[in-house]
This record gives sequence, structure tokens and C-alpha cells, in this order.
Amino acid sequence: MSRVGRWIDERIDLTGIRRSLLDRPVSQNLTWWHTLGSATLAVFLVQVVTGIVLGMYYSPSPDHAYESIRYLERAVVSGATVRGMHHWGASAMVVLVFAHMIRVFTMGAYKYPREINWLLGVALLFIVLGFGFTGYLLPWDQKAYWATAVGTNIAGTTPFIGAKLVTLLRGGSQQGAATLTRFYSLHVLLLPVLLVIIVGLHLFLVIRQGVAPRTAELETNAPKRTSDSGYPAYYRTREHESKTGGYRFWPDIIAKDVITGTMVIAILAILGRFVGAGLEAPADPTDSSYVPLPEWYFRPFFQLLKLVPGSWESAIAVGLPMALVVVLLLLPFFDKRSTRSITKRPAAATILGGIIISMAVRLGASMRDQPKNAVAPEVGRILTSTERAGRTQFERQQCGGCHKLAGMAAVPKKEDAPDAPELTEVGLRHSTAWLHSYLEDPVRFHPDSKMPAYGPPTLSHQEIEELSRYLSSLRGLPALNKQPEFRDTFPEPLKAKETK
Amino acid sequence: MSSTSAEQVPASDGDGSEGRRSFLKRLSAFGALISAGLVSFPVLRAIFPPTARRLKGGNWVKVADDTALLDIGVPIRVNFVQSVDDAWIESRTLNGVWLYTEDGEKFKAYNGHCTHLGCSYFYDKDRKDFFCPCHRGQFDVKTGKVLDGPPPRPLDELEVQVRDASVFVNYKDFRLGVPERIEA
Repeated sequence: MSRVGRWIDERIDLTGIRRSLLDRPVSQNLTWWHTLGSATLAVFLVQVVTGIVLGMYYSPSPDHAYESIRYLERAVVSGATVRGMHHWGASAMVVLVFAHMIRVFTMGAYKYPREINWLLGVALLFIVLGFGFTGYLLPWDQKAYWATAVGTNIAGTTPFIGAKLVTLLRGGSQQGAATLTRFYSLHVLLLPVLLVIIVGLHLFLVIRQGVAPRTAELETNAPKRTSDSGYPAYYRTREHESKTGGYRFWPDIIAKDVITGTMVIAILAILGRFVGAGLEAPADPTDSSYVPLPEWYFRPFFQLLKLVPGSWESAIAVGLPMALVVVLLLLPFFDKRSTRSITKRPAAATILGGIIISMAVRLGASMRDQPKNAVAPEVGRILTSTERAGRTQFERQQCGGCHKLAGMAAVPKKEDAPDAPELTEVGLRHSTAWLHSYLEDPVRFHPDSKMPAYGPPTLSHQEIEELSRYLSSLRGLPALNKQPEFRDTFPEPLKAKETK
Repeated sequence: MSSTSAEQVPASDGDGSEGRRSFLKRLSAFGALISAGLVSFPVLRAIFPPTARRLKGGNWVKVADDTALLDIGVPIRVNFVQSVDDAWIESRTLNGVWLYTEDGEKFKAYNGHCTHLGCSYFYDKDRKDFFCPCHRGQFDVKTGKVLDGPPPRPLDELEVQVRDASVFVNYKDFRLGVPERIEA
């Protein structure tokens, strides 16, 4: 130890800390499943670091929130990657927290003496979901705005206190500027502080109690119930025996944790760099045609609401999460049988399997159920009323039956539908005037075009103009920020007319 | 409740031979390094703000409509408002230049910021020189040279063009407080 090290050690006993923290003996043969908790912690650290960078470029006001995110995406070097990592990190947190909880549940590790740590874990689960819900609004794009509107409306269906609750969540009766600052404050001030405190306690207990021995070691000759008077003594002996293999926390356990953590972080880096977080058009509170969807981990619950009749809605929407909280909180106090392995707990296995399968089924159904015909405005700005009328026309004429458009679910194709050009960037190539003439009579431009003529009487000139304006607004995905370069060529007769 | 003290560690280390142990330690350090690198690479790049775009062909500003209306031998300060890209918003800034002529044909223009720490200086009519009130810097009107005080370099002279009797200045800002003239 260096001189400085010795000087510090004499005063605050670093050796003692190292001995009780790093050199503590641990149970042998801990599985890879045991690394899920520390992987969650690693992702949380990623969220903290990337979140600090996002905070440097974010303006929590409806006037500027969207613009500031777009600036981060387009102008800041690696800004899109950092945001992408934060976005995927949120999903990773939810996945890992759930997986960790399932691990603890199937190994019966919430039983004596770890009931308190289970309760802390349940609190952490809901804090993580709270992060997801509040963070979703912050980019202030269409998806963010409308999903949060629905989410807060669900809270509003709570009996008795619903109206009060929804005003409290939104910071007013309507969703708006006060909602955004409120969610921002929860997301970057309250929730991180809560999470750090509870994670601290959670880890403190893990160190204090040690990781639970493997299930088999706690099942041979065990008293029937953990509440039996002989159980604590039995547990102590067994636990002590499990730690005599000479395995220590450092480096035996930490090496495994680091491997899992590194893999998870590598996946986040890849997703963040190559998939990114996506940004829709800015939130438009006057756009009634947008069909909102919550983030995927809320989808099973969202999908469930489609299956229940309206009169049951508040019971399911509010009752189910409440019931889940109560069940999770009471679990370690009701389930006192000393069997731990999931294979010896048929009832627990059935319930867990049922929940996982039904959630997966509903998530799958929600993915298949993606709203059809939703045409996303791709301009990175709010559409004008004329353009919006054009978009309605686009849907009514089923343009999407032949043409592809990014951000729009494919309309079921007609049998004989010919392959038509993609329209995602049509506004970059052609002017409104050109599009107008083309729509009137495509054959004049391309003699063998299979596109029908939309000129009167099919559509009025007013309607064609609206449609052209909408098409002209399609200038590629917002993140690309391309500039139009018109390559309009008009057929001969029209040119002749123009020169006269 | 189990107590976990070092005394309980048995003498025999089971599978934990010293070689395996040091391998795991190196493996951990390696993994931690990779993780830290994967996160800090984009993060460190992102905390450096993007460099502002330079306007092609310079930032020419019309500062006087008619050369005939300008006083000879007395500098005049011209302020102008410009729209600038301020990260994700467009904002307006007020900048100024001091315009000076001895013959009504050739013009000198100085950036309106004192080269010391960027305060706005003014024309002292009695002493006939520029005076910066912040730290008592003084500059010569004809050349921009430092006469007195802490400024590290002469006033920043700007390019001037006269077109159709209007005076245009290529406005630029320079790094403050250093002796070299470096565009900011």
C-alpha cells in the first residue's frame, strides 16, 4: 500500500471496508441469472450518464422541446447515439428489472430472510415504470403527446379521485406546458433521487444478507414453513455451509457481473448507434387523426383495455395495477412454505407462466393491431389545414394501396395493384404545381403509367390541390433534413401552352 | 441473519486458485474498460457543442446609407440587430461598429467590443480617443492602437466596402483578452 493509502487507511480503515465488501465469502455455483440485478444497475448508470448529456441540450417547454431534441439529433456529434442509448436503455431497464424479479421469484429468494429486499425491489419496479412514463412525453412529438394524453386519461378513470388525480398529473385540466415541466421535474429530480436511495438500501441489504444459497441447499430437511421456530437456525447453518467453498465476491462474482453488464451495454451501444430513438412530427394538439400507442412495455396493459366493455374499464385500468401492487407487496408474507425451487411450487409456476404468456400474447396482438391508415406527417413540422385535408384525401383514395410511405402502415393491397413509386420523399423531387398536373392526368407524363387520372370528375381541382400540397410536404424522415431539388419535366403540350 | 466476516473464509481456497483469480480480475478490468469506453465515446463527443456555421462570403452589413452624411474626423457608432442561430432557436443579437473617416472616401471600421474583455467602448470627445469604461482602456481613433490600459491588442479593424455611396462592413468577432487576432 502506498504512503497515501496507508495514511488514509489508518484513519478510515479501508482494509476493513475491503474485507467486508469485496472479500466476503459467497455461495458457490451462483448462476448467470444472478447477474441480472447488477446488469440493471449497469444500465441505470448508462441512463444517468446519457441523461446528463440529454439534459444539456433539452429545453422543457412546448415551444422548444421538440426543436431542442431535433437539434441534438441533427447538429450534435453523436447526439443521436446518446439519445438512442438512453431510449433503448429505458427498455433494457424494464426488461432487466422484470427478468430479475422473475429470477428472484422462481428461486424463492424473496422468502425468509429477504422479505424487506423484495419490498424494496417492488418499489424499484414501479419507479422504473414511472421513469418510462414520464420520459416518453419529453420529446414532445406526436407519439409522446398522444400516448401521454391516453395514459393520464386512464388515471382519470379512477373512482372518486380520478378527476383530482388527472389534474395533479397534468398540472392543470388540460395537457400542455405545465404537464411537460411537471413530467420533466419528476423524470430528472424526484425519480432519480428516489431510485438512488432505494437502490442504495437494496444493495446494502444484498451485502448485509449475502446472496441466497441455491434452492436445493435450502430444501433438504427443511422445516415445512419459514415461520416455524426452527427455521432461522436451520437457515443459518445452511447458509454458512454454502459459503465454505472459498468463493469470494471479488473477483468470482464481480467477473460474472461485469461480463453480463458489458454485453448489455454493447447491445445498447449498437442499438443506440444504428437504430436510434426516432422522432416523429412535432406534437399537434389539433390533430385528431393521430392514433397513439404507448411504449411497448405498457402495450399488454393497453391492449387489455380493448377487450373489456366500457363499464369495466375503470375496474381493469385502475384495479389491475393496484391489485398487482398489493399482490407483489403481500407475496413474501403470505407465501411462507419453505420450498423454494419453482419446480416444487406448481401453483406459483402456473400463475407466473400464465401471466408471462398472457402478457406476451397481448403484446403480440398489440403489435399486429397497429392502427391502419395512419398517415404520419413526415415533414418535421405541423401540417397546415390544406395539407391535412390532402392527407385525408390520400387515405380516402387509398393511395397507400399502391404507393409506399414511411411511417404509414400498408393498406391491404388490391389484387391487381401495380408497383408504384415510394412517396416518402416525393416532395423533395417535385413541386406542388408539377404534382397537381401529374395527378390530373398521369398518362400525359408517362404514356404507360398505370395510375388512374384524378382530374375532375374524380376529384375537384380544390381537392387535387390539397392532395398535391400534402404530397409536397413529404420530404423524407424528419431526422434526415433534406433540401428539395425539383426535377420537374412537363410534357410537351403544357410547355407549348406556357410559352404562349 | 448470517454474519460475513473475513474470519470465516477457510484456509483452503477450493477452486479459487491464485491463477484463476488473477485471470478473473483481469477479465473484470477488461470488461469494465470496454463498458466505460462504449458509453464515454459518444458521451464525450456529444458534450462538445457543434461548431457554428460560418457564413459563406462573409457577414456584410450595411452601416451607412450615404457617405456624404458622415462627419469627417469624428467617429460614429452604428448599432445593428442581426438574426443568429442560437442552438435550437433563432435569436437576435445587437452588434456595433465604430465608423471613422478623414476624407469622406476612405473608411475605417472597428468592432464595437473592447479587445480586453468585450465591453462597449465610447468616443471621448475631449481627449479625442476611444475610452473603455470597464478597465480604463484607451485606443487611438485613427489606427485603433492601444494608448493606455490593459487591452492586449489594438481594436479589431474590419473590412469596409463602399458601394453606391453606402458603407458596408464585414462584421466579425474575435477572441477577447489575447494579444493575437483570432476569429471567434
